[in-house]
Amino acid sequence: MTEIERHDTDILILGSGGAGLFAALHAQKAAPDLKITLAVKGLIGKCGCTRMVQGGYNVALGGGDTVERHFMDTVIGGKWLPDQDMAWRLCSLAVERITELENEVGCFFDRNADGSLHQKAFAGQTADRTVHKGDLTGIEIISRLMEQVLRRPVEKLQEHRAIAFIPASGGDGLAGVLFIDMRTGKFRFVRAKTVLMSTGGGPTMYRYHTPSGDKTMDGLAMALRRGLPLRDMEMVQFHPTGLLAGDHTRMTGTVLEEGLRGAGGHLLNSYDDRFMFGYDARGERATRDVVSRGIYAEMRKSNASPNGGVYISMSHLGEDKVRALFPGMVKRCADSGFDLAAGKVEVVPTAHYFMGGVVVDIDTKTQMPGLYVAGEDAGGAHGSNRLGGNGVANSTVYGGVAGDVMGRDALKMGALREPDEGILQDEIARACRPFAKTGGDLNSLRRDLRQTMWDDVGVMRDAAGLKTGLQKLEQIKRDLYEIGVEDGVRAFNLTWHDWLNLDNLIEISQVIGEAALARENSRGAHFREDFPTEGDLDNSYFTLAKQIGDKLEVTREDVVFSIVRPGETILPEDAPETLVS
Amino acid sequence: MTQISQPDQQFIKVSIWRGAGDKGGYETFDVPDQESQTILDLVSYIQQYIDPSLTYRFACRVGMCGSCAMMVNGVPRWTCRTHVKKITDKAGSLTIAPLRNLPVIKDLVVDMDVFFDKWVRAEAVHHPTRSIEQGVQPVSEDTAERQAANAAIECINCAVCYAACDVVASNPEYLGPAALNRAWSLVNDVRDGGREAILEAVSGTGGCHNCHSQQSCQKYCPNELNPTASIAGLKRETSKFALRNLLNPANKHNQGEPA
Repeated sequence: MTEIERHDTDILILGSGGAGLFAALHAQKAAPDLKITLAVKGLIGKCGCTRMVQGGYNVALGGGDTVERHFMDTVIGGKWLPDQDMAWRLCSLAVERITELENEVGCFFDRNADGSLHQKAFAGQTADRTVHKGDLTGIEIISRLMEQVLRRPVEKLQEHRAIAFIPASGGDGLAGVLFIDMRTGKFRFVRAKTVLMSTGGGPTMYRYHTPSGDKTMDGLAMALRRGLPLRDMEMVQFHPTGLLAGDHTRMTGTVLEEGLRGAGGHLLNSYDDRFMFGYDARGERATRDVVSRGIYAEMRKSNASPNGGVYISMSHLGEDKVRALFPGMVKRCADSGFDLAAGKVEVVPTAHYFMGGVVVDIDTKTQMPGLYVAGEDAGGAHGSNRLGGNGVANSTVYGGVAGDVMGRDALKMGALREPDEGILQDEIARACRPFAKTGGDLNSLRRDLRQTMWDDVGVMRDAAGLKTGLQKLEQIKRDLYEIGVEDGVRAFNLTWHDWLNLDNLIEISQVIGEAALARENSRGAHFREDFPTEGDLDNSYFTLAKQIGDKLEVTREDVVFSIVRPGETILPEDAPETLVS
Repeated sequence: MTQISQPDQQFIKVSIWRGAGDKGGYETFDVPDQESQTILDLVSYIQQYIDPSLTYRFACRVGMCGSCAMMVNGVPRWTCRTHVKKITDKAGSLTIAPLRNLPVIKDLVVDMDVFFDKWVRAEAVHHPTRSIEQGVQPVSEDTAERQAANAAIECINCAVCYAACDVVASNPEYLGPAALNRAWSLVNDVRDGGREAILEAVSGTGGCHNCHSQQSCQKYCPNELNPTASIAGLKRETSKFALRNLLNPANKHNQGEPA
């Protein structure tokens, strides 16, 4: 039997993005005498994606803007699929959370001349609502949160990769989480009274993707294996302008910011034609999903650039102006060998954010007692499409809620739950599976997965392609189980983790494919060429995916319009359509 | 990342430090030369196609997280944002090692805990003065203090400056440029209530007065921050603070004027 190090805590948090760090702070306030443990796949405050937020934080802070208006924008942006109670809580608590970030956490956001917070409007918003720190908002939020967590008595388990939720032997909830301590390569089982999963989704199974390299759908795969229901799993948001520099570089797929198009940037095909007006009257200024589809269509017409994408060109605005407006982007491109200010740079749509996630209530509770989910891992708040600026608001709002609730619940609990030792051993065996095989090519398998998801389950979908994609995924999964990893030094063995990453990515890719097949209309991020219209809004449904035994079951559930029905509004009758000038 | 095998393929010789703690040495690999290629890409290629046991760390890929800094030809750099063509020396060779001044866990991965422990020890953490109910404090960005605070704020705690610093190398107690730079930003932040605590924390044994203004931190900061200037500011303020306390001990518990 493999050796397991055993460890106990009261409150265990997985992940150190906006959700995980906020949960740690709030749990500590709610239950100062309990032990809190923060476990991270990378380093605290460094891995994950909150840090990479450029744009900012959506919050209604007056000047005509209201929580009601923010809520309506969120529901309409999500094409009537959001869980309205979750969306409402997101918009209303954001007001308190932004003040907490400034006053207690110590973030400093950009100011107006009168000293108040500066706010700008992102696409899909009807008010200047986005609070920001230049175009590096995430760094300010995470650096300040990280400092506050580091100075508190929070136990740190860094470079600890969670591999399984272990239920209680009595079947009455979650006993704890099984990890690999990546630094030593040993298994560690941590029991806890309450556990937060805030590992962040992150669609890195696509050939082009933006999230940080550590994100591989670990949390969602762990939840799926325990039979937890996942919703909206077909909803993958693509950002239209990812840097394209060849498959051999990790730069490929990283975001060139939205503002480039907003400021008047041109998208050009290989013939230097501005093709976007052929797809939408707004041209390059159309919304993310529309521009992504325009670029994808252009690529399919063989009008693609040398690396297979299109170009973004800014130089007509004046080289100096571009340098002044986008210093960070110009420098990043220059570091990578491209001239954004005077030349043109190859871009491609890139998988950016995952709207799907675990079904939770507005207190972040799941159907498994002891397990809570917040941030990108939780489904519901965004429906079929997340507005720019609602991501970090969501993770910080619900991370804080989770900390409050988990603290209170842990205080009420008596003893820790005893784990089901059989499942614990099964999960260890599962993680050790590659050691029993030899040979095989993990890299070409990763490439196959990414290409399959891009071609068949990507920006534009149809039934035939999705079915082909699902067949290929089945084969890729079988192939993975034939690939071995040498069982030499397990300490910091990245290749072992590459294998485990692929296992999770393949599993969740299959769920995305099945959910995409189940949604026979086009909403937000999900576009079906064989069902190009949005369908009947009044009878909107969301998809629910669940693993039952060896079988994945996808059903459609009615959206409950608990606050407002399609076509109606909660804004006053005389409210203007938009406050943005 | 794809494997490359064309007949006219050029290769780059890359020497990589392998080992753990103080024990280890360099191993050399031939990596195919590519048009757009960063140091991180070279390291990734080796792990994926040549030696699966190589260990390194990265996360964001775009210079925002500060996970992937290493010594590249003896100089600390973000490997994700360092283009190979801008670095290779005349002989076309490259040497990559873990960040200096931090304990090595394995190969190119260092333990950053000591760096962050010092961050906290420098009191480089916001000290709240306002409740949530009071709302966000209006602050003008035009004042000299706020501009000083802003000038030091965009640090991503990558530890490049810490690795570049010769004082850290010779005095393990020294708090280092990043922590002190953050402390200086807070000293200038009108919203921060910890001025005294910070000045006391940074004037002790490992504090700001250890800095010899050699300016390596400033030279190598990928974000073009100037920790040397921040530390100079702390030196002035801590001296004033100490003198005032000496002349009038009753002052010790007042807030003092802003820097």
